[in-house]
Amino acid sequence: MAAGPGIGFAFPFETMNALIAIVVQVAALLAINQAGYTAAAALRLPVPGNLLGMLFLLALLATGLVPLRWMESSSSVLIRHLAFFFIPITVGLRGFAELFVDNGPAILVTLIVSASVGICVAGLSSQRLAARQARRTP
Amino acid sequence: MMTWVTGFSIAVTLGAYVLSRAVARRHPSPLTTPVFFSTVLTILVLSSSGVGVADYEPAQRIMVFLLGPATVSLAVPLYKSRRTLLTNTLPALAGLAIGSLATLSAAVLLARLLGLPSVIRASISIKSVTAPIAIELAPIIDGSPTLTAAFVIATGMIGAMLGPWLMNATGIHDPLARGLALGTVSHGQGTAQAVVEGELQGAAAGIAMGLTAVFTSVVAPVLVPLLG
Repeated sequence: MAAGPGIGFAFPFETMNALIAIVVQVAALLAINQAGYTAAAALRLPVPGNLLGMLFLLALLATGLVPLRWMESSSSVLIRHLAFFFIPITVGLRGFAELFVDNGPAILVTLIVSASVGICVAGLSSQRLAARQARRTP
Repeated sequence: MMTWVTGFSIAVTLGAYVLSRAVARRHPSPLTTPVFFSTVLTILVLSSSGVGVADYEPAQRIMVFLLGPATVSLAVPLYKSRRTLLTNTLPALAGLAIGSLATLSAAVLLARLLGLPSVIRASISIKSVTAPIAIELAPIIDGSPTLTAAFVIATGMIGAMLGPWLMNATGIHDPLARGLALGTVSHGQGTAQAVVEGELQGAAAGIAMGLTAVFTSVVAPVLVPLLG
């Protein structure tokens, strides 16, 4: 995405090119995402469309149809701020105030304990299996 | 047409996020996790300025517009760390399957023990599945899509807040295992937290989130009625 050789004002051109590159890349990501939703609906797969979109992009990268550098700048920006996209969703929890007042403690205990159990079981089992595999194949 | 309420809602949410990142950098703790801190701050500001739940919906739709492309772009770190993921296929698949079964069973059994009604028990069982698929899965197992959405979001927050601390306490240091555990239990929010730890953790969490959604969709309709 560098400006051409011999251009004196390289800095502003490069900044603009980088911005244009991100806009084009995000548009491509939007199209791939849409393709994922279209495919999931057409094939009646019980799988979220954005997950299929992710697998599509993975296939495009693995086959070399899309070089890594085409997607690198936009993906790093989007992923760095992935947490932001969940804030508008969690703010929607305001609508459930009454239910949480009635059953709050029991729900909270269930959610916290089951999440903790899941994290420890998933983490410990995969860590042990990975260590065992590493010992077998040096 | 964007109304002033929508513009105000977006400004408050964005402002809270920017502030939360600055606060998290200076005082890292579970309470300053960007999603938790920004959510509390945004709710407080919106409520005190009279912006209702329905008033916020257009702003929400605009802001989550890029969530799809952001999820798709997770393929990039996944591709970059493909070798590590491919050499650990078995531990990764086994870990996420066992972890999914554990968190689902623990949720249903505990909810029953604590006397929660059956619609809550069903809705809470699939709280570790990423929101778009959990909402479609809920009616199949006699749960409520609305309740499920709430539990999915809360579980995302709980895992992102407590997960790193819990894994430090139980000696889970392997980067693949850490990312996998976060993605298996706390889907997208867990993946966002895993990305903060590193690229491999983020990639492992991304694939765990996707495969957990597929795995749980197949297992829940059989297992949830059995566990009651």
